Amino acid sequence: MTTVAAGWAIGAAFLLGALTLFAAGLDGYATARLEGSARRGAAGPLFEGARLMRQRARMTVSADALLWRIGSAGLVVTALMMVTVVPLGRWTIFDVGVGVVWFNAMDVVVWALVWLVGWGPNSAHSLVGGYRFLAHGLAYELPLMFALVAPAIAAESLRVGDVAAAQQGLWFVVWMPIAFLVYCVGVVAFAVWGPFAPALGADLAGGVGAELAGPDRLLFLAGRYALLAAGAAFAVPMFLGGGAGPVLPAWLWAVLKTVALLAGFVLLRRRLPALRPDLFMEVGWLVLLPAALVQDLLVAVIAIWRR
Amino acid sequence: MGVSEILARYAVQRAHVLVVEVPGCWSLRVALERQVLSRGWQLAESPADADVLVVCGQPGPELGELVDRVWDQLPGPRVRLGLPRIEALDGALDAIQAGLVDTANHRADARQRPATPGMDHGDMDHGDMAPHGIPLAGGGEDRDGLEMDVLHLPLGPVLRHWPAGLVLRCALQGDVVVGAQASILDGGHVATRATAAKDDARGGTNAWLCDQVCAVLSLAGWPDGAASARRVRDALIDDGSGEATRPALERLRREVFGSRLLRWSLRGVGNVAAQGRGSRELPEGVVGDVHDRLVRMLDRALAGQLATPVTVPALLDHPAALVGALPDLVTGLDLAAVRLLVASLALDTTPTREQVAHG
Repeated sequence: MTTVAAGWAIGAAFLLGALTLFAAGLDGYATARLEGSARRGAAGPLFEGARLMRQRARMTVSADALLWRIGSAGLVVTALMMVTVVPLGRWTIFDVGVGVVWFNAMDVVVWALVWLVGWGPNSAHSLVGGYRFLAHGLAYELPLMFALVAPAIAAESLRVGDVAAAQQGLWFVVWMPIAFLVYCVGVVAFAVWGPFAPALGADLAGGVGAELAGPDRLLFLAGRYALLAAGAAFAVPMFLGGGAGPVLPAWLWAVLKTVALLAGFVLLRRRLPALRPDLFMEVGWLVLLPAALVQDLLVAVIAIWRR
Repeated sequence: MGVSEILARYAVQRAHVLVVEVPGCWSLRVALERQVLSRGWQLAESPADADVLVVCGQPGPELGELVDRVWDQLPGPRVRLGLPRIEALDGALDAIQAGLVDTANHRADARQRPATPGMDHGDMDHGDMAPHGIPLAGGGEDRDGLEMDVLHLPLGPVLRHWPAGLVLRCALQGDVVVGAQASILDGGHVATRATAAKDDARGGTNAWLCDQVCAVLSLAGWPDGAASARRVRDALIDDGSGEATRPALERLRREVFGSRLLRWSLRGVGNVAAQGRGSRELPEGVVGDVHDRLVRMLDRALAGQLATPVTVPALLDHPAALVGALPDLVTGLDLAAVRLLVASLALDTTPTREQVAHG
């Protein structure tokens, strides 16, 4: 694993930006097809961006402007922080020994940020949305943590590059599928996406985002796509063999796998009804958490047996 | 061409429209929504999300005042339009588009508005108990007998997937409704009926039912299901009398009935018992949970689409009577359940002919 010069961080940011645009464009296309206006669906996010750039910044009465803005702008920053530890083929920006923990710490930061977006505008709908996200968080976060433990045990390292290298021959997704599924649920949940969007629900007039307008809204929306992209990118070294693959160079395989998983996440959004936080709480604690723990146990036993 | 013109030209490709429906103007609202979506525009969820405010129908004095207050909350660039009659819809969206790109006009509008919003109270003596003019939340005992803040939040009338003109003033503890008052703005009276399509055509009633199904599925957070219901609704409007739309309606029912996840997520939500609280007799059509009522709506639409319509008991004989029962029904539910319950009741707030005649 080669650590590249810090300047390449700009390149990584561009790559994340491209993935974000891809996700938004794909979602725009899928949505437009359903609404019967396939015309320019994929360009929708660009028009939306222009619209929000043109819109006036908006404040509500007695808003907590600072915390509100930290929340809405913070999601993009958090997604950028996540991808710093994701290796692209054999290059990495930040080859930290506890990369897996770093990613996990960043996804916990999302709790604070989404809640702050709900808290900031001093609006009942937004605040209820913020609490809905925390309720989801209580149910998805622990299973997500234990799902991340499984590849780390198998690779006997918390360094993301080592985890990717440990999958030569057999990808982790093959013999720890439950951990992979639980991880995917976690990614969709921390991006407030699809079935995990009650925090932004139509029943709350947009919930957390009910009062957002202009550039603040643009950053918040982009942040959700960026989180989804970062989550998909991190799954590649953790479960999908990193850059392993025939013919093509390793970095291209890493990008292709990320795009495929990201497309899956995006297209999933419209298919499932929302998981209300009170219902998902049962699923998280009674199904996902025990399943992830059993998976960890199995992986640990196999890891010891193989030594 | 300057940057701001280019930005404006791109921005209007995806204008967000906030629609206000005056009771009785359902078909006008749906016609507008269809035009908005086919243009690639979006329907706004809240004033902050909107560039355009359109009022469908002739609002009474109470609704008119509230629409003015909603207008103040649009961030801008913003355009406002009233559609008193369905004929006014022709060319309305082109006029909106022309208004949206008029950057000079929007600059002038922005200069007139205060940079920070304030509560419009007249007297500025707020004191410590009302920072920025908002009174502090009072306290009250919650379900477990503990002291908890009570917040007053009105739901409606400018709210998507919500019966036109209905206002539900809720007292909230957390997101649980602990008390409520329900009313129809302007006493349910309107000066003119925009259209009467729904009463006239069989397909119209079924399309209306599909629109209610679409609202419930949207609130349940299921975009695919809601889009299916909307497509069937539009087909019923365009080709209401024929049997051609029956397969589409059947497919929708299968899709809704077949989704286990939907059933699981709506199971037991908004349950209405046969014997209402306060010994109020509730119509048979509303008994059950949200999922029961959802399937019942589709069954009723299907029955109405037969060549020889079978008589199916109406969901509600007197929709207005149910508005009086709403406070009892919603008390103790959280906001998500309240929204699903109200949408699944398929409240028709259209004033009856007698009301209009006497009004």
